[in-house]
Amino acid sequence: MEEFVIATLRYGTPLVYVTLAGVLAQRAGVWNLGLEGLMIIGCCAAVLGLVQTGSLLFGMALAVALCVIASALLWFVIEKLRANPIIAGLGMTGLGLGGTDLAVQAIYGSQATVNAPYGLPRLGTEFGDFGVLSVLVAAMPFVVFAFWALLRRTRFGLQLAASGEHPFAARSVGVSPARMRLIALCVGGVLCALGGAELALGSLTIFAYGMTAGRGFMAFSAVIFGAGHPIASVAASLFFAIVGALGIRAQLVFGDRVPNDLLLALPYIATVIGIWISARLRGGAKAASAFGELRDY
Amino acid sequence: MTARLFAVGRAIAFVILALALCGVIFEFAGYSAPEMFQSIADGAFLNPGAWQGSLRWALPLFITATGVIISFRSGYFNVGAQGQFYIGAIGTTFVVDFMNGYPAALVIPLCFIAGIAGGAIWALWPGLLRVRSGADEVITTLMGNFIAGLILIYVTGGILKDPSGTGQVMASRPVAPAYRISSETGLSPTIVGAAIVVGVVMWILVNRSAFGVLAGLAGRNPIMIVWQGARMSRLGLAGFMLGGGLAGLAGAMEVLGPNGRLVSGFLPTLGFTAILIALVAGLSISGAAIVSLFFGGLASASLYLPVLAGLPAAAIDIINAAIALFITARAAPGLGWLAARRRAVGGA
Repeated sequence: MEEFVIATLRYGTPLVYVTLAGVLAQRAGVWNLGLEGLMIIGCCAAVLGLVQTGSLLFGMALAVALCVIASALLWFVIEKLRANPIIAGLGMTGLGLGGTDLAVQAIYGSQATVNAPYGLPRLGTEFGDFGVLSVLVAAMPFVVFAFWALLRRTRFGLQLAASGEHPFAARSVGVSPARMRLIALCVGGVLCALGGAELALGSLTIFAYGMTAGRGFMAFSAVIFGAGHPIASVAASLFFAIVGALGIRAQLVFGDRVPNDLLLALPYIATVIGIWISARLRGGAKAASAFGELRDY
Repeated sequence: MTARLFAVGRAIAFVILALALCGVIFEFAGYSAPEMFQSIADGAFLNPGAWQGSLRWALPLFITATGVIISFRSGYFNVGAQGQFYIGAIGTTFVVDFMNGYPAALVIPLCFIAGIAGGAIWALWPGLLRVRSGADEVITTLMGNFIAGLILIYVTGGILKDPSGTGQVMASRPVAPAYRISSETGLSPTIVGAAIVVGVVMWILVNRSAFGVLAGLAGRNPIMIVWQGARMSRLGLAGFMLGGGLAGLAGAMEVLGPNGRLVSGFLPTLGFTAILIALVAGLSISGAAIVSLFFGGLASASLYLPVLAGLPAAAIDIINAAIALFITARAAPGLGWLAARRRAVGGA
């Protein structure tokens, strides 16, 4: 049982951080499909920064800086150039995947897996079996609570939600929806960097090409499943993590009797079912999609 | 006409902006940007014989892109072309594997049908979830891509596995020479002819048929379409399945044509590039024919770069992604400021 909880937390913690980034963007009215790309930039920058300088702090700082820059670029393209957020987000995802590939090849000359000498600090033996988990796992509940409080109990959270739901109302009280979106995306960039760093340095201490494997999209789905509410979205992402951990567990239990590749598909299938359920519950999207376009009024 | 010229000019301007961003990224990663662009241009168009490689990649991209255009036009963001391409290729391989020995005149058409059916089925379930329940099609089709990729790994490592394979690359048995529709070059009368037929049929469907007009209107003004008595859900589903079927057709042609077998994880960027082609072409079929050549050249260059120029193929992925980032942009920030200023002056 404890093993299962640990597996779920390992799978789920990166997902939770990135989901919070998605919640921020969603509440500000931006469909952020660039989460996948931001996450892998976080993975890559944290590992490469750590390997090149030997300093974990530098790796984390590099990851945060690059993710915030990429988020600001995405904001500029969506808000200032009025690009379609879905396509621009997919472009950002491609930029993350291609850019990290290019960076690894530029430094090491091949598309090899990069091994980091050590990872994030662990909790240590006083936590028993849970000691193998990183500090970011332990920090996760507090971060979730902090963002819940920020989004649901502060003036800033209300202004953010107004910018997304009714930009006209936000503007009428002197809030600039464009600026709120910039803040939301950049804070989301920090969260994506943390999520990526946890994925790459939490338990594995490696960077491999495409290692996020759709987790950013899963986090985005969790936001849709949770209707943009921080707690509900985090719960949805933990649900996907439980399914993922069940898949890993099933591989160990059943061995070769069940095809591994199909077990790996379980979280994706769970995501589809989650989207379907949330559409049934909430009536779903309108006749044709609004294509996630930004609203000004 | 001027409106169309303006659209073309705008698309070219944003592609150039994307290339500039790529240049910055290349320099940042320690490569010389002019050298990189020169090598890409060599590999895509300038070297002798490069055009053949570009055309080879342009054809499957064009066929898939026409499918993307149809589903985008009918108002649905079907971004699952990659998965539909894979499932179509898997369907084709099943037919060609289990009908080995039958006459080619029977097997090849069946292969095409299996490919189209496979792609259409992989578009059917997100389409149904969308029109029946309103489940967001962007996510379901994206997840479909990942699931299809895993199914591809599963069948190439299991049911369809080539027993004589080395284990390095998971692949199916090679397609028997009698059923191949082209050699490795990917350019044969059958493939070129099929692409032309698809292009002409889709052009007529989009521009000269009731379905095309209705679908185009449905994408822009769904409420009006419903009031006119058309069935949105049927139009949308038809667009979805046409898109999936065309991606599946491209998959069938890859297996019977240049690839000659089903390989795990082959052509991983085809679906994304096809979406780009559809958007850069402004959802026009005739435009897509030209834009496909450009992206076919980039795809061809991504094979040329690592082998002959010693540069990473990821450069091409970055160029594609940067174009995706900018291509849907509708405004330049300076222009908006100018317009607001003019309004203010005019009002005073």
